[in-house]
Amino acid sequence: MNEKLNMSYPLFESFKNKLKPKRSQAQMALSQVNVFHRLSWQEIKIIENAVHIRNYGPGEPVFKQGDPGSGMYIIIEGCVGIFLDIPHQPPKQLSKLGDGDFFGEIALLDASPRTAAATALENSTIIGFYRPDLMDILKTKPALGGKILLALSEVLAVRLRATNGELVKVTRKLEAFSESGENE
Amino acid sequence: MSNKAPVLIAPASVRLFHQSLFKTLVYFFVLILFLAGAYKAFPLVMDALFLIVIAAILTAVFNPLVDRMESYGVRRIYGTLLMFGVIFTVVGAGVVKGIPALLNEVGRIKDVIQQNSATNSLDSILVDLNAKIAGYVPGFQIDPEMISSVSAQFFGQLGSILAGALDTLATVIFILIITMFFLVDGKRMTKVLIGMVPNSYFEMSLNITYKTKQQLTNFLRGQLLAALGVAIQSIIGLYLLNAIFDANISGVMLIGSIAGMANMIPFVGPFMGMVPAIIVSLFNNLGDPAAAANFYYILHIIVMFLIVQMIDNNIISPIVVSGSMEMHPLTVILLILVGSQIGVLGMFLAVPAWGITKVIIQEVYQGLKGHHLI
Repeated sequence: MNEKLNMSYPLFESFKNKLKPKRSQAQMALSQVNVFHRLSWQEIKIIENAVHIRNYGPGEPVFKQGDPGSGMYIIIEGCVGIFLDIPHQPPKQLSKLGDGDFFGEIALLDASPRTAAATALENSTIIGFYRPDLMDILKTKPALGGKILLALSEVLAVRLRATNGELVKVTRKLEAFSESGENE
Repeated sequence: MSNKAPVLIAPASVRLFHQSLFKTLVYFFVLILFLAGAYKAFPLVMDALFLIVIAAILTAVFNPLVDRMESYGVRRIYGTLLMFGVIFTVVGAGVVKGIPALLNEVGRIKDVIQQNSATNSLDSILVDLNAKIAGYVPGFQIDPEMISSVSAQFFGQLGSILAGALDTLATVIFILIITMFFLVDGKRMTKVLIGMVPNSYFEMSLNITYKTKQQLTNFLRGQLLAALGVAIQSIIGLYLLNAIFDANISGVMLIGSIAGMANMIPFVGPFMGMVPAIIVSLFNNLGDPAAAANFYYILHIIVMFLIVQMIDNNIISPIVVSGSMEMHPLTVILLILVGSQIGVLGMFLAVPAWGITKVIIQEVYQGLKGHHLI
């Protein structure tokens, strides 16, 4: 039925497209982030107004290891490498992130030093959402701020559960290892 | 062949030399033009900067209110307009009703001072006072000329400040308009300005701006609330003195307001607030034997202001003033001396201005240190 309409009425299709809300690249990128995935488009637009869109050249650091953490980054376009600085050794690349990927979301809650460095590997456009922006949203739009905090807690809970699972596995392995040692 | 080589190289190097000379001359000319322009425009730029700084301070004070309204769903523009509507109504009513009364009061006190100086009745009071004080503190004398000149100067300047404030109503309105824009669009303006910072300093700049803004807002709000507290207490105290002891102190609202504002200056402020009340009591009670027997209520006034200070220091300030202005007394005295070069207003503003500067320096230093830049 829809196909028929589309085929037969190009004017209607054009009108439909015009009515379709236009989403910016930043809005699309934000909507994919687990911290914002439950927000409405109107709320995403508020976030878009609060965030900072930055451009980085190849090799340019986004942040350095040891810097006080102050926010999260979402890659709109480009590529970012996460590196671990090891003294007297070249930096070790931990991961390579691309379009739509995000990193550093825990820094929204905690100002402890960054555990790794992030460096743009090519020309990249990145959204920065920082703690001052979150605090500002919490102050002026408490309901929206609450939703973001809830989503952040969910992210933390999922990670904590995963860490607990890993811990249980390791503990079992250790127990099995010590039991086998006793038997021998 | 060996002669030709320099000839072949010469045109290029000469051209380069000419080009660089031309560039240098152009840069030099532009620099001269810029410096001349800056020199000519310096007063204008300073005036504009002064207005912007005052507007920024007012924004820091009012921003939490607009933020609070926004959190209840009121758009920033409407919140700002509503707040300014209330402020204009209150200030307008105050100006229409209060300023003429205040100017009359100031003029009357000034006249009394001048009349008494002329008829030497001030001298007779002080002779009487000095004789009484000598009974308690031997060797302590009040110089009549000093009292007369200081009080005349004080009230004269106060009058000129109030008159000046009326003259510069346009400036005030201009400052309020800038404040309004800052309140509505300040966040966007800050975002654009911070957006210009290079990537490597961006996070740090954002954090420093946020923390400085927070500290500044807390500092100013605390100072203003403490000043308001002292003003209200002083007004109540003076009314009580009038009611209980019949102290005949006029201009209670004005004196209370001065005491509140003076309270922003540590150490010296409380005494500055006391002085007008003592002077008014002295001149209002001329020739009254009952008042003379009570030392013209000077002790009562001092005790009342000491109680106000005790309440302020132990109850109000610890609650409302966050990040107190810990300053060495010598710093305060030096700041007041520097401020006095601008006038009474400079004396009032020097210490709070230094407090604000201190907060900004502290935050910038901590930010730079956190990012291992120093």
